[in-house]
Amino acid sequence: MIHFSLAREQLIKPLQLVSGVVEKRQTLPVLSNVLLEVEATELLLTGTDLEVELVGRVTLSEPAEAGAITVPAKKFLDIVRSLPDDSIITVKQDSERVIVSSGRSKFTLTSLPAVEFPSIEKSSDHEEYSIPQAQFGHLINATSFAMAQQDVRYYLNGMSLELSPGMVRTVATDGHRLAMSSRQVEGLNTAEKKQVIVPRKGILELNRLLTGGEETIQIYLGSTHLRATTSDFSFTTKLVDGKFPDYERVIPRGGDKEVVGDRQTLKSIFSRAAILSNEKYRGVRLILSSGNLIVKANNPEQEEAEVTVEVDYEGPELEVGFNVNYLLDVLNVISGEQVKFILSDANSSALITDFDDDATAFVVMPMRL
Amino acid sequence: MQRKIIHIDCDCYYAALEERDFPHLRGKPVAVGGQGPRSVLATCNYEARKFGVRSAMPGRMAKNRCPSLIVQPARFEVYRSVSEQIRSIFSRYTELVEPLSLDEAYLDVTDSTWFGGSATLLAEHIRAEIFSEVGITVSAGVAGNKYLAKIASDWNKPNGLFIVSPAKVDDFLVTLPVRKISGIGQKFSEKLASMNINTCGDLQQWSLPRLVEFFGKSGPWLYQRARGVDDRPVGGSGERKSLSIEHTFSQDRVNAQQCEQEILRLYEKLRERLNKKGSAPLKGIFLKVRYSSFKTQTIERNWGLTLESFQRLFQVRAENVEEGIRLLGIGVRFDNSVPEAQLSLWPQEDSNRI
Repeated sequence: MIHFSLAREQLIKPLQLVSGVVEKRQTLPVLSNVLLEVEATELLLTGTDLEVELVGRVTLSEPAEAGAITVPAKKFLDIVRSLPDDSIITVKQDSERVIVSSGRSKFTLTSLPAVEFPSIEKSSDHEEYSIPQAQFGHLINATSFAMAQQDVRYYLNGMSLELSPGMVRTVATDGHRLAMSSRQVEGLNTAEKKQVIVPRKGILELNRLLTGGEETIQIYLGSTHLRATTSDFSFTTKLVDGKFPDYERVIPRGGDKEVVGDRQTLKSIFSRAAILSNEKYRGVRLILSSGNLIVKANNPEQEEAEVTVEVDYEGPELEVGFNVNYLLDVLNVISGEQVKFILSDANSSALITDFDDDATAFVVMPMRL
Repeated sequence: MQRKIIHIDCDCYYAALEERDFPHLRGKPVAVGGQGPRSVLATCNYEARKFGVRSAMPGRMAKNRCPSLIVQPARFEVYRSVSEQIRSIFSRYTELVEPLSLDEAYLDVTDSTWFGGSATLLAEHIRAEIFSEVGITVSAGVAGNKYLAKIASDWNKPNGLFIVSPAKVDDFLVTLPVRKISGIGQKFSEKLASMNINTCGDLQQWSLPRLVEFFGKSGPWLYQRARGVDDRPVGGSGERKSLSIEHTFSQDRVNAQQCEQEILRLYEKLRERLNKKGSAPLKGIFLKVRYSSFKTQTIERNWGLTLESFQRLFQVRAENVEEGIRLLGIGVRFDNSVPEAQLSLWPQEDSNRI
């Protein structure tokens, strides 16, 4: 029967991450548990919601007894969290109970047998890719905000991940705005272009695992699942079975009105004008003329905001409405100082990019105001 | 500004139209519903109600209670066209009409100059016009908002009128049972009763922070209703809030596999209807299960629209697993937070927003 000891600091991070996968409302009681497995000097912690599965790996320095059992994830985490930083924690199975003890604290938890714990079936054939974590993190961060949440078009409730020789691209859209980011990845060994849709939850959980360091993440792409491993984790997510919309077609090419402005300044004037926009729909009007941008907003109480800022623009006047949150989301993920807007008319989308980086592009459809 | 709202509710609408069109039915217990042994009544007249027959009651149970009950097949085309006729009467007096169903509507008559601006006289006039032009009776409630007007129309039913004038609101509320508040069902009222809250007067004793503490999001709503406050405009959002499909089995089902097959069938139908309507963002999905005992359970989650999600919902329904299932329904709830004015990247995929 399972029996092991380790330092709290070794346990807390993997346990937190693994518990993050566990859903609060569960269909099967065992799904609110975390699976603990000890083999030789390795402890594996697993959490699953049947769509995503996360396994954390900890090397034990103390001798341990092998075994496997499941305990309530939230309670186990709360206990570990509540113990002092330098605690040594012992976990021991006692027939159907699991005893967690540390110093003079002792907790007896219920358990469910490890055999009841479901595992996501893994595709046997897969292709393997190796991507630097920092790059992968950048691709996710630049686009994940645009994923739909609970759309009927279920293929939008996730992110398109595209792997082609030497390049990785992510695209996310909720049907009203779109974010796309590409990164060159040296020696990405793929013979042909592959595109899959990773579900929203899979992306959010995966992003939490990335450290942003030099280390690489191994991606195993099967027909129905994606698995990602680092030295500490093994993460599996089901893929969304569907066809991602043709995004190339909606990236505007014909825009003739190019505006360049300071990102921070634009961010603050949009937020300022938005105070008096409709709280629910968040519409603002952009009125562009040579050298000037006026942002106007009004709400159902007929209150009005008007904010003017200097921008780098030469051309005819244009008035176009947008959901200000869509614009702010974009300005928040861009890191450069200057941003570029390319517009054409009040019914056509805006193309927004970081002035110094056109490997990431954002498309926002207007609002008729 | 003090608003003037009239709520009009037709008395036993479908049954009344059957009596109107088939004189031999008059004065007899009449219901409208399917003819099958397991069909449920859509409505019934007051004669039938004397026997304990109620709308939504299975036909067989109704027949047991009232053997002389005449169950007429529904004639929805007639009900719809008469409903339009009634709406055209409303439109003579105000443009602000919010139909709730074929037989019920709110009218905002705040700016009406008819009858010297008296909403009471206007309500009486509309009732009389409907009776003479359409041939059925309606009940009306007059109050300063939708919530009180709706309670008022039920007060002197049938063929009645009741007014909750602003001066009388406080007295009216003190003794008003909380169950009368639209939105408080049996379960909720039982919960309130267990806390010694039976009337709006009782509810008024509770502070807003305490109501929020006990009832969460419903707290502010309860606080307002207890005080007769309801700022919802007449006209409603006009947005579609949900779409669902259900099926009553010809025999109760206990076998989970049969139910899952039915869920598959319903799911395909639902997808078909959603595709026809075009797409819109969803807030969640739900499953409705009615058991042999008529107990009905609705389980709702903010999960994606997949067959698996509905199957999972079916598994969530842990209680009553042993009991037979009479009806299964599945549906989606829409997220109306995206305005019509927002343009789409792929307009052809959602040109018909719901």
